[in-house]
Amino acid sequence: MITVQKLNHHFELGKKGNKTILPVLKDISFQVEKGEIVSVVGKSGSGKSTLLNLISGFIHPTEGEILIGDQRVTDFSETKFADFRLKHMGFIFQSFQLIPSMTAFQNIELPLILKGESESSREQRTLEMLNKVGLESFKDHYPSELSGGQQQRVSIARALVLEPPLILADEPTGSLDSETEAELLTFIKQLNTELGVTFLIITHDEEVARIGHRTITIRDGQLIEGADA
Amino acid sequence: MKWKDQFRFIRQNIKKNKVRTMMTILATAMGCAFLIVLASVGYGLQESVVKDTLEQQVVTEIDIYGFEEEGEYRSLTMDDIDYLESIDGVKAVTRRNQVRQIPMYMLEEYKAEAMTYVTHFPSEVEAGLKLQDGRMPEKENEVIVGSHFRNYLSVNTDDENIYDEETGEVKEEYIYPDDLVGKTINMEVRQDLEGENGTHTISLTVVGVLQEPSREWMQDQNVYISESVYNEIEEFTGTPGGELGIDPGNLETDTTDTFDEVHVYAKNLEKVQGIADKLEENNYAIYSVVNEMEQINMLFTIAKAGLILVGTIAIVIASIGIYNTMTMAVTERAPDIGIMKAIGANPKTIKQIFVLESSYIGIIGAIIGTIVAYLISVLVNIGLPFIIEMAFEDELPEGLQFSAIPPSLVFIAVGICLFVTILSGMRPAKRATQIDVLKAMRREI
Repeated sequence: MITVQKLNHHFELGKKGNKTILPVLKDISFQVEKGEIVSVVGKSGSGKSTLLNLISGFIHPTEGEILIGDQRVTDFSETKFADFRLKHMGFIFQSFQLIPSMTAFQNIELPLILKGESESSREQRTLEMLNKVGLESFKDHYPSELSGGQQQRVSIARALVLEPPLILADEPTGSLDSETEAELLTFIKQLNTELGVTFLIITHDEEVARIGHRTITIRDGQLIEGADA
Repeated sequence: MKWKDQFRFIRQNIKKNKVRTMMTILATAMGCAFLIVLASVGYGLQESVVKDTLEQQVVTEIDIYGFEEEGEYRSLTMDDIDYLESIDGVKAVTRRNQVRQIPMYMLEEYKAEAMTYVTHFPSEVEAGLKLQDGRMPEKENEVIVGSHFRNYLSVNTDDENIYDEETGEVKEEYIYPDDLVGKTINMEVRQDLEGENGTHTISLTVVGVLQEPSREWMQDQNVYISESVYNEIEEFTGTPGGELGIDPGNLETDTTDTFDEVHVYAKNLEKVQGIADKLEENNYAIYSVVNEMEQINMLFTIAKAGLILVGTIAIVIASIGIYNTMTMAVTERAPDIGIMKAIGANPKTIKQIFVLESSYIGIIGAIIGTIVAYLISVLVNIGLPFIIEMAFEDELPEGLQFSAIPPSLVFIAVGICLFVTILSGMRPAKRATQIDVLKAMRREI
């Protein structure tokens, strides 16, 4: 599903003429198989979020290749990557990243709108997702009117509404209490089992990492263990 | 993303900042209204001038002054008339000669001086000459008179009291009181050649009175005589056209078949330009209302272009407001844009939404501006004549239109408005597409 080959990335700090190179990822190579849940763990600043951002296409790697399915996404233009993200990827963020001026229903409906789905199909699929995450009675609530757990469930519903084969999750339980965290992890496992969705979960929490079939550990930008499936 | 959904997004976004958007729309509307009202003055005055020019003249008439031959102009002859009549699209060719003195006309104790013409009546009738009373002349001593001739036929006296002090016209009680048709009037012509002085009286019968000229202020007091009477005048005076005080050595040797005034009448307005072009090609010196219209229209086109340009400046100023509004909208919505980009919104779609939003502001502003401009135009046309009359105590010409808004002006104004607003929304829209997803989601923008 995901193939990362010899991935190197550094950030350039400072102004022109006085730039400092800050290496973040060094020679990272690993694979994630279809239907797998892979946890990427590491301390804060180890480069795990950068890795996720590179796979997501939010930033472009300095060196190396990323293949998702059979597509070499590192060659994609911004526009092409946007289309690819819409069709093949779902995202779960630590801070949920819901649009505050939209209701739960509208937030979940957004990917369907961007894809150009018909209004009737959008309504049906959005209601299905709301039902799946147990928020049908909160559909007209704005994010500010929902608890952290509910917001994360809306975020998951939005990530899943287009039924992407791959979900990238960045610290998905970071803003949740332990009870909600447990609920969410169960939900992720259920989605993986029932729908065969591949998950790449970035976390520093060992509890969360444990739901993965495999764990990749990154330290100081280098892959320490878990590269092989 | 479908257009319908993009419009829904725009409406939602506008709702979030109603006041700011309304103020921007208001500025755009004011700019658009200013442009339309300003240019409408050019359109209105052009319409009035064109209408006035057309009303003053017969639009199908072409005046011919002469024929250019080796750098000099000669009068038109019967050969020219035959040629003019043969041109395709010509309805009639009228020709007149003027008696080159002003004869005195007498009827009982009334008298009047009047310009006298000999004309070809069949072609005049063909050209549209109409009588209000009587019939066309059939005999040699029969004449027709202009509609105002009777007003000048006043009591034969040197008393200045017969004139109205205010208007300078003869008072009604001193004017010949009866209809002229059927009356016999005596025309007195003078002779002044080589010391021979004398007068000669020719008896004429008025058989018809011409219709009044189309414009109220125009006066027709002329007398139209037959060719034989004209010849009799020339015979008596011994000069061409009965001219007075002429040096015998300068007498024209041959005045037969030349005409002082020749007018060509086209069958319809569309034919005028073709006939005029053909006549100019063949060295005839001409004037037609179409030529005048071309010059008037050219002048007003330049004036209108200038006014539209000045008006456009107002829209450009308003567009600064749109640019500001859109830039603020992009900054405010940066986190939302970041989220949308993260989940797969195409940068083109994001740009489209912002360009559409600025166009939306532009189109609403243009619609409101157009409605306001129409209202101002109506008010100006009603109110300004009163104000000018009160302020300057001067009466304006009847039917003068200060402001006119044809659909073409609305299209031009709305087009300029849309172009400028889209242009002002382009940069903020481009900025929206360049928003960094990670920074936006971290609320760092």
